[in-house]
This record gives sequence, C-alpha cells and structure tokens, in this order.
Amino acid sequence: MNISIPNILDQIIASIPLFKPELTLIIGFIVCIFTALFMEKRWKNSTFTACMVTLVFSLYYLVDQLSTTGTGFSGMWLVDMLSTYARLVIISSTLIIAIFLQQRHSKNNGDVYSILLAATLGMHVLSSTSHWLMAFIGIEMVSIASYILVGYFSQNKIQSEAAMKYVLFGSVCAAVMLYGLSLVYGLTGNLDFQSAEHLQGLMDAPEAVITLALLFVFAGIGFKLSFVPFHVWSPDVYQGAPTAITAFLSTIPKIGAIILFARLYQSWSSTAFYFSELSTWFIMVVAIVTMLVGNLAALRQQDVKRMMAYSSIGHTGLLLMAVFAYQDAFSYLLFYIVAYVIMNLATFIFIDQLEQQTESTSLLSYAGMGKKMPMLFTAFTLVAVSLIGIPPTVGFVAKLMVFTSTFSVFQSSGNTGILLLLVVGALTSVISLFFYFKIPLYAFLRDSGKESYERKRSSVVLLIIAYLLTATIILFGIFPNWMMLMLS
Amino acid sequence: MGVLSILIFLPLVATLLILTLPSSAKATYKYIALGFTFLQFGLSLYLYGNFDATLGGIQQLDAYQFVEQLSWIRMDLGAIGKLEIDYLIGVDGISLPLIVLSTLVMLMGVGASWNIDKNPKGYFALLMILNTAVMGIFSALDFFLFYVFYEVMLLPLYFLIGIWGGERREYAAIKFFIYTLLGSVLMLLVIVGLYFSVINPVTGAHTFNMLHMMNPANYVDGSFFAYITNYHEVFGIPARLIGFIVLFFAFAIKVPIVPLHTWLPDAHVEAPTPVSIILAGILLKVGGYGIIRVCYSIFPDIAAYTNWWLALIGVISILYGALNALAQKDLKRMIAYSSVSHMGFVLLGIASLTAEGLSGAMFQMVSHGFLSAALFFLVGVLYDRVHDRYIYNFRGLASLMPKYTAYVAIAFFASLGLPGFSAFIGEAFVIIGAFNAESMSTGVPRWMAIGGSIGILLSAAYFLWTLQRMFFGQTRLKGGQAWQEALTDLNIREQVILFPALALALLLGIMPSLVFGNLNASVLQLIELIKP
Repeated sequence: MNISIPNILDQIIASIPLFKPELTLIIGFIVCIFTALFMEKRWKNSTFTACMVTLVFSLYYLVDQLSTTGTGFSGMWLVDMLSTYARLVIISSTLIIAIFLQQRHSKNNGDVYSILLAATLGMHVLSSTSHWLMAFIGIEMVSIASYILVGYFSQNKIQSEAAMKYVLFGSVCAAVMLYGLSLVYGLTGNLDFQSAEHLQGLMDAPEAVITLALLFVFAGIGFKLSFVPFHVWSPDVYQGAPTAITAFLSTIPKIGAIILFARLYQSWSSTAFYFSELSTWFIMVVAIVTMLVGNLAALRQQDVKRMMAYSSIGHTGLLLMAVFAYQDAFSYLLFYIVAYVIMNLATFIFIDQLEQQTESTSLLSYAGMGKKMPMLFTAFTLVAVSLIGIPPTVGFVAKLMVFTSTFSVFQSSGNTGILLLLVVGALTSVISLFFYFKIPLYAFLRDSGKESYERKRSSVVLLIIAYLLTATIILFGIFPNWMMLMLS
Repeated sequence: MGVLSILIFLPLVATLLILTLPSSAKATYKYIALGFTFLQFGLSLYLYGNFDATLGGIQQLDAYQFVEQLSWIRMDLGAIGKLEIDYLIGVDGISLPLIVLSTLVMLMGVGASWNIDKNPKGYFALLMILNTAVMGIFSALDFFLFYVFYEVMLLPLYFLIGIWGGERREYAAIKFFIYTLLGSVLMLLVIVGLYFSVINPVTGAHTFNMLHMMNPANYVDGSFFAYITNYHEVFGIPARLIGFIVLFFAFAIKVPIVPLHTWLPDAHVEAPTPVSIILAGILLKVGGYGIIRVCYSIFPDIAAYTNWWLALIGVISILYGALNALAQKDLKRMIAYSSVSHMGFVLLGIASLTAEGLSGAMFQMVSHGFLSAALFFLVGVLYDRVHDRYIYNFRGLASLMPKYTAYVAIAFFASLGLPGFSAFIGEAFVIIGAFNAESMSTGVPRWMAIGGSIGILLSAAYFLWTLQRMFFGQTRLKGGQAWQEALTDLNIREQVILFPALALALLLGIMPSLVFGNLNASVLQLIELIKP
C-alpha cells in the first residue's frame, strides 16, 4: 500500500474531532501523574479534582458527539450511537468510582486516578473499534490498569495474592488471544472483523484452523467478561480487592468487552458458513453454562463479595444472551448494561458501607443489622430484587427485553437450543432468588447474637449516591421509556 | 384518575403515610391501615352497587366497566418492533366479586393485626403494599401490568411470613417464594411468546393487551402461539398446549392443586394469623382467577381440549386435601388442607365448562374467601391465648369459651356445606355443573362429580370430628390451670371481625343471587368464548 505521509497526516487531523473525549482522557492522564507527583503534598485532593475535571470534560465532548457517526484513523476508530452511548455509561460510572475511591481511600491515592483514567481510555478504545489491533490494545490497557488497581491498596497477603492471580491469568489469556489473532490474520489478511475481506478469508479457511483460532480469540474476550470457563479468577479477585476496586472490576471492564463482543458476534454470525455456526453455538452453550455455573456456585457463598462475583458471572450469561440476540437495534443491550451497572454500583457501595460498620464482608455479619440500619437494608433489598429481575425494578425490564429479543430470534429460526437458552435464563433467576435473598434473610429475619457495633463515621456522599441509584432502579423499572428516551 | 385506580393505589398512600410518620406515632399505624382499608371496602361496595350486570366482559373491552386506559410504556426496539404496554384496568363479573371479597378480607386481616407489636411500621407498610398488589392483579387487563402486580405481591408476603412468622418461618417464607417465582418466571416466557404472536389491530404493533390475546383474529399467522396455522412444536408437543400448561402450572401453584400444594401448609402454619387470613382469603383466589382470566380466556381451544385432566386434578385435590385434613393434629394445618380440598371444587367447576359449574366455582371462591378467613381467625384466637393449636391438647372448650364455641361451630357447619350457608351453594353448583357436563358433552364424566360429593362428605367428617374432639366432653387442657385462666372468651373486637363474615355466609346462602346476579353475564360470555 502506498499512502503518502501527508495523506496519512491529513487523515489523522481529520479524525481528531472524533477522538476528542479520548484526547481529553489522555491529557487528564498526564496531568494526573504530574499532580500526584508534585501537587498532592501541598494541596490534598488535587489529583482527584483533576480526574473529575477530565471526566466531566470528556463527558461534555461525548454528549457533543451524540449526533455524529463516522470512522477515523483509516477505519480503526469507529464512532456510532452504540459506541457513544457505551462510552457515556463508562464515563458516568467512572465518575462514581472516582468518588468512591476518594471517599474510601483518602490517603496515598494520588496515582490511582491516573490509572483509572488509563483504564477508562482502554474501555473507550474497546467500545469504538472493529479492528483487532485496536481491540487488543484496548484489552491490554484495561487489563494492565486493572492489575495495578487490584494491587494498589493491598495491605495483606490475600489482597496481594488476588492481584498476582489476576496478573497471571490475564497474561496467559492475552497471550492465547494474541496467538488466535495471529491465526485469524494469517487466514484473512485483514484485521478489521467487519470487513468483507475478513469474512471471506474465514469462509475459505479450513475448519480445524478456524475452530482453533476462534476459540483462542474468544478466550481473550472471555477473560475480560469472565464467562465460563474463563471465570475462575473473578471470585478470588473480587473478594481480595478493596471494595471500591471490586465495584470498578465488576462493571466498567465488562461494558467495553461486551460491546466489542456484540460487534464481533454480529459480523461473524451473519454468514451461513462454518465459522458463523461455530460462533452461534459457542455463544449459546457458553451463555447457558455461564448462567448455570454463576448462579449455582453463588448459592454456596458465605462472603458477600464472592457471592457478587458469581452473581456477575451469572449476569454475564444474560449479557451473552443479549449479544446473541443483538442485530441492529442495540437499545436493549444498552438497557441491560445500564441496569447492570447501576445495580452493581449500588450493591458495592452498600457492601462497602457495611464493611465499614462490621469490618467484615461475611453474610453472617449482617445478622440482625436490618433493625439498626433499616433504610440501608431496605434499599439493599430493593437492589437485590432488581438483580433477581422481579418487577417493579429496572432489572426486570432489562431481563424482559433480553428475553423478548431472544424470543424473536427463536420465532424466526425455530432452533430448540434457543428455547433452552430462554428456559435456563428464566430458571436461573429463580435460583438467584436463594442467594440474593440471603441479604434480607440475615438482615431482617435473623437476630444478631452480638451487641451492637459502635457506629463509625460512614461516608454520607456515597450513601446518597447509592440511594439515588436505588431510586433510579425503581424509577426506570416503572417508567423504562424514560431511559429509552435518553438512549435514542 | 378513576375509581378503580383510587381503589388500587389508596393503600400505597397509606404505606407512604406510615413510613413518613415517626416511630413515636406507632400507635396510629393500625388506625391508618384500618381507615384506608375501610375506605377501600366502601369504594368496592360502591363499584359493586353501580355495576351493570348485563355486560359480560371477558374478551370485549367495551363490556368492561370502570375502564381506565393510559399508554404507559412505548419503546422502539428496532427490528423487534415497538413495545406497547398500557396501563389498562377494568372489571367484569369475574373480577368484581373477587375485588369486593379482597377488600373485606383485607379489612379482617387488619383487624386481626391489632396486637402486632413487633415493628408495626414495617408490618403495616408491607400489608398495605400487598393490598395494592392484590387489587392490581384483579383489575389489570394488560398482561405486563398483571405480571408486575403478581410479582410485587410476593415480596411483602415473603417478609410478612419471614419476619412475623413462627418457628420455621425462614423455611416457609422461602419455600412459598420459590414455588410462586418458579411458576411466574416460566409464565414470563409465555407472556413474551404471546406478545410476539398477537398484534393490536388498531396500531399494528405487538401488544401485551390481554383482551387482544383473547381474540383469534389478532394472532399472526405462523407465529409461535398462532391460532390456526400453527406448526410450532416443542419436543413434539404443540406450542399452544405448552403455553397453556405453563400458565396453568403458574396459577395452579397458587390455587394450589395436588401435588403443587406443599408450600401451603407450611406457609399457613408459620404465618401470623392475619397473613394466614389473607393467604387463604385472597391469594388462593388469585390462582383461580388467573386460570379463568388468563388460561381459559387466552387459550380457549386448549381449555376445551384439556378439561378432562383439569377436572381430574380438581377431584384429586378435593379428595387428597380432605383425607389429609382428617389426619392432621394441628388445627391450623387441618384448615390449610381443608383449603386445598375446597379449592379443588373451584378447579372442578371451572373445568366442567358449564354455566352452573363456572358460576359455582366463582361462588365457591367468594364463599371460601371469607369462610377460610374466619376459620384462620378462629385458630388465631386460640393461639393468641395459649400459643398452642394441637387438637389433642384441648378438650371440652365449650364450657370454657361458649361464645367462641358457637362461632367455631357456625364456621365449621358453614364450611362443610350445610344448606343455608354459602359453601353449600358453591359446592352444589359445582357438582351440578360436573354432572351436567356429560350431557353437555364437555368431556367431564359423571364419576368425577361423585368424587366431588365424596369430598363434601369427608369435609363433614373432619370438621365434625374436630368439633367433637376439641369442644365437647370434660374440660381437659394440656396446660392445666394456667391455660384455663388464659382461655378467655371472645372479646368485642374479635366478635366484630367474625360476625360479618359468618353473617355474610348465611346471607349468601339464602340469597345467592347477590353474587350470581353480577357474574352471570360474564360466565355465559366465557362459555361462549370456549364453546366446548
């Protein structure tokens, strides 16, 4: 290919407007490093402020981008409604996570914000590309940032162990994925998975190689999404990481990965050839197994953070179902993502508040707490209800929309496997009732043997955020079209 | 906002009021709850009085009364089309009697909660949320709305049983929740399937409107639940049959039928008295109502096809429930099993597909509603005083508590189907319907009617035997002197609650037209829809 340098430069300059939110993040990242190094000692919270300013600016540019669609940087950068909305969700939840970090870890936290921004940038890359190179860079950015975040506040052996496990598992998965990508590139000669050339290459390739290549590629994505069988890291890491970081891990990295996967699946499943069939079966089987494993394993957990890890694995299964049914309309996929993010953020803020009070994340420590903190546990119960998917909460509407879209695929194809997918999706929500309702069970139905804990200063800001999130859960549950209005 | 909406959301106002009042005002909570339920009762009587009995309802929206329709959710889902969900409520002859019954039983429930002193704020707030959900279920005509109310009902019940219940309350509460949720999540899948199969003839969009689902003309050809040209099968079973079975399963758990009844004795035994009253008086009726409103009206073809099996299940429930009641040693458990038996009549009546049988089933639901509420209240009276309800621990209560014995005797006689009381009318009509079914060739054989009659006989046996064991003979109590002092006779509050229920049983037994008059047109309309 002969593209002269001025041409390339022209194109880069022309692509800049599409890249504004990310440029802001990059600048913010550098600024945060400097403030953490030089200003933090004199002026506390300067890095936090810089981070917040960056996020708000990025948000502003994103809103600005709402009406634009286009590609930039020689087709590597893809801006459409799906990516813009996904990035809006990512930035908004990063804002909450940043406040969470600031409230909870007020000491020695300078560098954490710059890493958070880097992770956000990685997520942005993931959600707005269809190019494998960019996707891999995105995954690695998020992964490396997450490794650091998990280990950043580690104070004891368990936390360091969690970080170490995460790094090892993550690197292996990344290596496997890279190998798969090299195979895919070798077969197709094109790294853009939406291009015709790419699909043509996959159609012509021998089945054995394709199977290997696809499974390797899915392994990398599977690690980020933590679907079965690449989920084994998540319970340990969720439990070992500080709660604020767990809140981050369970939400933001999944958004980008699921968007990438949705794009990938949409283009790969569109043909009638072997690789499409393979992807379809892969996602169906994995979705079923993930829902079952996540929800069944959660039954046995006594630690609430570990339980939430399995719960998020279960929700990944439903997200895969949404990806499976993803065609052109992305609204229900985004709806599920937004619902999932709101529910998880609220849950982890509650867990953190209780951890401050009881110094434990064991479910047993919630015994009888409902009487002491009726407001918190009522809200927590509502969030649990939403996680199960019972009306009138946003979790129910999200689940209903996923079922609806999956059913429409079933009706047009008549594949009994899809019906099985639906039935498993419905039944696992019954299973999930058992473990989510352990929270109100311990809080309201059991009595605590111990005398009351002395009340510690808990963060009012975080509590208010969590209550607001809970209110949103109910509000969007009753009036889901308000959220849909925002999404369209 | 119409009368019906006010009826539904009044208790929610009460909940908010109770939640905002400080705990220092906790003595007022029960008065707030009582006031609001009383208001509801008045409203429902107003509806009943102004009901036009000539209109049938069932699948015709213009024959429904007090209808309110607001567009609620409109979402564009791209390829799937537009999501169309309405806030659509209205009543016909099937739902209105049950609404009146619910408000009455709710009133009894609040009256029975007078002595709750464990966290009254939470208790009455949950009770009022439950109240809203129940009213919503009986008035909703949009399947989505129906489902929302149906699920919302579960949460307060879980906590009411789980927090204020007896010893094994955790087990009972979760068992109840799991059973119902299992039914309802599968129901959700059928709802989604129906949504894709039905089109609103006016807008051309898919719809959750139940009335549109009842009209064969609105089904899309080739869709999953399509009426005529339907080749969809799952494991060799036709799609519409699957849909019917799943919906029936969901509601049958609520009724409950044998063998899905095992949650009921546990829930009843562990639940506090008011919750037992509401469970038996209202929630079991949700099952029967669901079968009529949803299963039979949306799948009339399958209803006519399967009614032999449904009637069989009904007969089995009648006999199995009655035999179990005979064997119980716990008074509350006995009454719980008698509920299973009596609700079996409802299923038998519905499945007979005759006008007599269906009217009888409706009447039986109403009659069982307040009679079982009265029975559970009577058990509660005993339990309040000595915290025991083991039948063999009591003997000769008649000389100790004469008024109580009189009320129990009347309630027992009314429940066992003595002519002159409401249960007799309900059960007699069901059995007449089942007998006539053979000559109407709806597919229910005569021996099933005989099975039902044996059920009545058995119910006489267990009620009278219990009366004899506990109330007659020499006074002998397990707790000795302490119990003798604790077992005071009924006070004014208890009599005020019991008297109307038993008076109503007598009144309806003598003048059944009070109920039949209003539901007749709807029953005929339903039969017309099914055309067995």
